[in-house]
Amino acid sequence: MTAAASASLDRYMAARGRNRRRRWLIYLAMAVAAIWCLNDTVVADTDWERIGSLGAILSAVGEFIGIDWGLVPNLWQPALETIMVATLGTLLGVITCIPAIWFGAMNITPYAPVTYPLARLMMTLSRSIHEIVWALFFVAAVGLGALAGVLAIAVRSVGFIAKMSAEAIEDLDPKPVEAIRAVGGNDFQVFLYAILPQVLPAMISVIIFEWEINIRRSSILGLVGAGGLGLVFFRQLNTFNHPGVTTVIAAILVLVLLGEIVSHYVRKAVI
Amino acid sequence: MTVSQSIAGAPVREWSRIKYPQSLYRWGGIMLALMFLGYSIAYLNIPLERFIGMFGRVGTLITDRYYPPDIEYVLDKGYLATVLDTIRMAYLGALFGMLMALPLGWFGAYNVTPSRRFLYPVARFLTMGTRAVHETIWAILFVTILGFGMMAGVLALTMFCIGFAGKLFSEEVEGINMGPVEAIRATGASQLSVMVYGVFPQVRVAFTGIAIYTWDVAFRAATVVGFFGAGGMGWYLKRNVLQIETNRVAAILLSIIVLVLVSEGISAWARARVARAK
Repeated sequence: MTAAASASLDRYMAARGRNRRRRWLIYLAMAVAAIWCLNDTVVADTDWERIGSLGAILSAVGEFIGIDWGLVPNLWQPALETIMVATLGTLLGVITCIPAIWFGAMNITPYAPVTYPLARLMMTLSRSIHEIVWALFFVAAVGLGALAGVLAIAVRSVGFIAKMSAEAIEDLDPKPVEAIRAVGGNDFQVFLYAILPQVLPAMISVIIFEWEINIRRSSILGLVGAGGLGLVFFRQLNTFNHPGVTTVIAAILVLVLLGEIVSHYVRKAVI
Repeated sequence: MTVSQSIAGAPVREWSRIKYPQSLYRWGGIMLALMFLGYSIAYLNIPLERFIGMFGRVGTLITDRYYPPDIEYVLDKGYLATVLDTIRMAYLGALFGMLMALPLGWFGAYNVTPSRRFLYPVARFLTMGTRAVHETIWAILFVTILGFGMMAGVLALTMFCIGFAGKLFSEEVEGINMGPVEAIRATGASQLSVMVYGVFPQVRVAFTGIAIYTWDVAFRAATVVGFFGAGGMGWYLKRNVLQIETNRVAAILLSIIVLVLVSEGISAWARARVARAK
């Protein structure tokens, strides 16, 4: 082996060792941070008397085992409500996010220094505030009922749909746009015949994915007074009917699984 | 858009973008969707007049009650301590969740799973189940079993992260290059060695990115698990919502937005660095 080759090998091995040491240091720092957090939060903040022995925990868990079949006929209506709230919320979210998409895509935004940050702000607001908080806000604004849930879901969906669609529009091929302009199309025709056909499959796929997530979200909005399975869950928990709680969770699981299957096939059909 | 064109001798033909059978399915689909829409509005008793009047009401709600936010309240020492608690809770939940999601990501990836008959469906079901149940439901369940406190919150976030990271991990593993895996299998290595030497080096960078992203998402979820008594700043939020201290609620929401923005910034920076270190 020549000297040059062995020197470069030495350099390579040294770099590899350095990387490896750095990685282990990061792991060590993570472990230390975890111990510190565990000690300060979980150990200090837990009421160990209340938890009791392992047997007590197991018996508390055991209460939840089993399915309350008597509850199943009462679940159809809330399950339907949950799906409807998710669907309406997603649709309303799609309508609401049109301005956010328009302003938030760098290549079609009307006046970038103002409208682009505005759209980004809309997206961040929608994504950073949890659906429970949105639901509380809308319950205060429009009163109890499904409408508050629909609005909460809609506002919460804006961020994700707008972000993904704006990114899709930023990536689009400019040639069809030029072609439509060259034959004398106006802005609206450019949008309808050049931009929309390019981004529609991606957008529909995002919307369906969001709908699937929204089923999961709308299943808990009943906790703050917006109807659906969450309300049944809350009632079963408050009446200490623990098998009933398990039943509702199983129903949510089935619902989400159905949503996933539908979303899988529809997205496959669209793309 | 229809265009009629006439060429001498040829019959006049209508041009349309979508032709007969497809156009029928299309209109049928749209009509069905509209019918479902109308039916569900009627079924859910949604008062449309209230929806129209909502915009004015939301405006006055914000200007009269939520504005101005009570900033001093969120700069209070007790509140800042719960913010730190929330961050730590999110960290622990994401860490434990990811440690458990690693084997699930391995078992749930169809191309390298040790047993397609048994472990694959089990891992898939576990990630699906933990993801399908919303984090607030996990929080409520753990609070009922273990009592109030951070432990319930950490466990709820752990469950949430198992589902979230497990799905992303297994999708990442399913996209790998199978060449190195086959090479290591050909040497007679065990399933674990295949994972450690064939799969893991290929996905390490992506996993780190996913890990950072999971922490980011866990933090957003951590801000509300306290709502049901599982520790962190959610409890402050709930208390002030119930007491209709709307100015304080506005301040807390603002603080959440700022924190989420900061965590998003950190996560984007860290992910970019990890991608560069590749």
